[in-house]
Amino acid sequence: MFDWVEQLFRGIWQSIVGLYEIRRGLGTVAMHALRPPTTEVYPDIVPPLPAHFRGRLALTVNPETGEHLCISCRQCERVCPDKCIEITAHKSPETNKLELIDFKIDHGLCMFCGLCTEVCPTYCIINTNDFEMADYTRESLVYDLKKLTLTQEESAYYFDRKENPLPKPKPAKAAPAAQGAAPAAAGKAATAEKPAPAGAGQTAQTKAATEGESAKEAETKSPDAQVAPEAPPKLSNDEGKSDEAKPENESGEGPRQG
Amino acid sequence: MATEIKSDRLKTDEMIINMGPQHPATHGVLRLILKLDGEIVRHVEPVLGHLHRAQEWQGQNRTWFQYQALIDRVDYLSGMFTSWALARASEHVDGTEVPERAEYLRVLASELNRISSHLLWLGTYLIDLGALYGFPFYPFREREKILTFLEEISGQRMMFNYIRIGGVQRDPKADWFKRVEAFTKEFPERVNEYEAIVTENPIFLDRTTGVGVLPKSLAMEYGVTGPSLRASGINYDLRRFKPYSVYDKLKFDVITFDKDGDTRDRYLARVREMRQSNEIIKQVIDMIPQGDIMAKTKKQNAGLRVKAGEGFAAVESPRGVLGCYVVSNGSDKPYRFRWRNPSFSNLSVLPPLLIDRPIADVMAIFGSLDIILPDVDR
Repeated sequence: MFDWVEQLFRGIWQSIVGLYEIRRGLGTVAMHALRPPTTEVYPDIVPPLPAHFRGRLALTVNPETGEHLCISCRQCERVCPDKCIEITAHKSPETNKLELIDFKIDHGLCMFCGLCTEVCPTYCIINTNDFEMADYTRESLVYDLKKLTLTQEESAYYFDRKENPLPKPKPAKAAPAAQGAAPAAAGKAATAEKPAPAGAGQTAQTKAATEGESAKEAETKSPDAQVAPEAPPKLSNDEGKSDEAKPENESGEGPRQG
Repeated sequence: MATEIKSDRLKTDEMIINMGPQHPATHGVLRLILKLDGEIVRHVEPVLGHLHRAQEWQGQNRTWFQYQALIDRVDYLSGMFTSWALARASEHVDGTEVPERAEYLRVLASELNRISSHLLWLGTYLIDLGALYGFPFYPFREREKILTFLEEISGQRMMFNYIRIGGVQRDPKADWFKRVEAFTKEFPERVNEYEAIVTENPIFLDRTTGVGVLPKSLAMEYGVTGPSLRASGINYDLRRFKPYSVYDKLKFDVITFDKDGDTRDRYLARVREMRQSNEIIKQVIDMIPQGDIMAKTKKQNAGLRVKAGEGFAAVESPRGVLGCYVVSNGSDKPYRFRWRNPSFSNLSVLPPLLIDRPIADVMAIFGSLDIILPDVDR
């Protein structure tokens, strides 16, 4: 019978509580006017990015000598989940050493996982802090060697920030050794008959065997690469694998020999 | 409260309406086929698969190393947990001992990620309820700080690829821990702010109290997990129920509610979970030991392999129990994957919750379940 009275009082009470709560919420919002803004004026102020930020991919050079650090080992090409890296290299007839001709990264395909930077033995391929890569066409997202390679100053900056070990000792004391080791390694892979100086060669062979690739293929393929001035741009996995073993030799033996 | 709807006087023809897939509140591309009687929902049919990316199949066509980088994309708001489930399952298969410091770092990174996931949920849920102005930016402000922390250790804000098979990717520096600690001290105050704005707000109460009541039995029938299950009063948290990693050394209680959970309880469960995660982070920073961050037997390069065998492991993700079943044949590629994604089970309980509710409640209920569509479709 007195339901309406009860309802009335309940309604009044609810209104009072509600008004109090709304005031509390609004007060909290209003207090934000007194705080410094947390937003950043982006195009004018670039946010400070951490050293290991995974931005645009780039290739470093030796910060001191300006020598390109890529040894065409194709590890990044092999590990890339999106197959967006394309390396063109050939064996130079004079030095019998792999020479980098072109290095293409399709940033339209890249998912910025950073796996290529993790496997790179010479810390050549890195993620820069650059993320402003918008462009007008898809084709312009394919960066070639010239566009990818950083200057000496930039390389020094990234080597310092990422705390990657500098390639200092190599040019200082192991530069001749590295040069000496490279032909040996290349020659070994090319003929696959020379006795391997270290266990590295064996591992390379076993790897090749496990991956269902016969050593003959490596033999037949690498002379081709020697004769032809340009390796075919679309390399099959086999060649990538046969080449993949070399940097381990080089990086493993170079300092030891020197 | 607007819980009782008298509709028998307003009988109309049923109308079929497609909600989504391009609907701003469906958190991705969910399509709901609603049969409406006036404003009342009489039948619901969720249509899934718009975001199907064959994540399991892709796993069989990539090496272990490559798949680790991909798997963060399954649940993009909590990538740490998918990585962790994969890592735990793989470690279970070949019996890898993970260094203790790596385990603590995993807990630390994951709890940070849990907070960031809940913060995003809080902001977007309030948008779903109509609070379009201002409020969503407050949780995003804190989320931004957390993402900066995670970016620093992993390299990216959301696709972390931080937790690896055998350990973690990178050891943070000492000042990183200090900054995280400073954040954990100010964070509870920020949660108080959100609660002052939202929790007792009469509009919020009207929209959520008694809406979308999920009884215990229904939740268990449909396999609902995570905060939605705990809000319904079931004391089930994998971190306590089956402690993995170092959770058995940490002090925290499972957040449960006494009654059948409605939408507001699910909101409260997540807010309390944020505070709880914050406490866990504090403990972890105090307890973290020195040492290795990667098992000696595992190398993070193309040669990463897992011994032949099968194994299952699950983690408590922000959305529920995230399980991963791995079959390995010892080669560089996984043989088979099977994921148990929490969002899928949580979404399947949506139709019974929506029946006989007005269409305005659809988003309130759907949002409260915290569903990520890539996690549903994989």
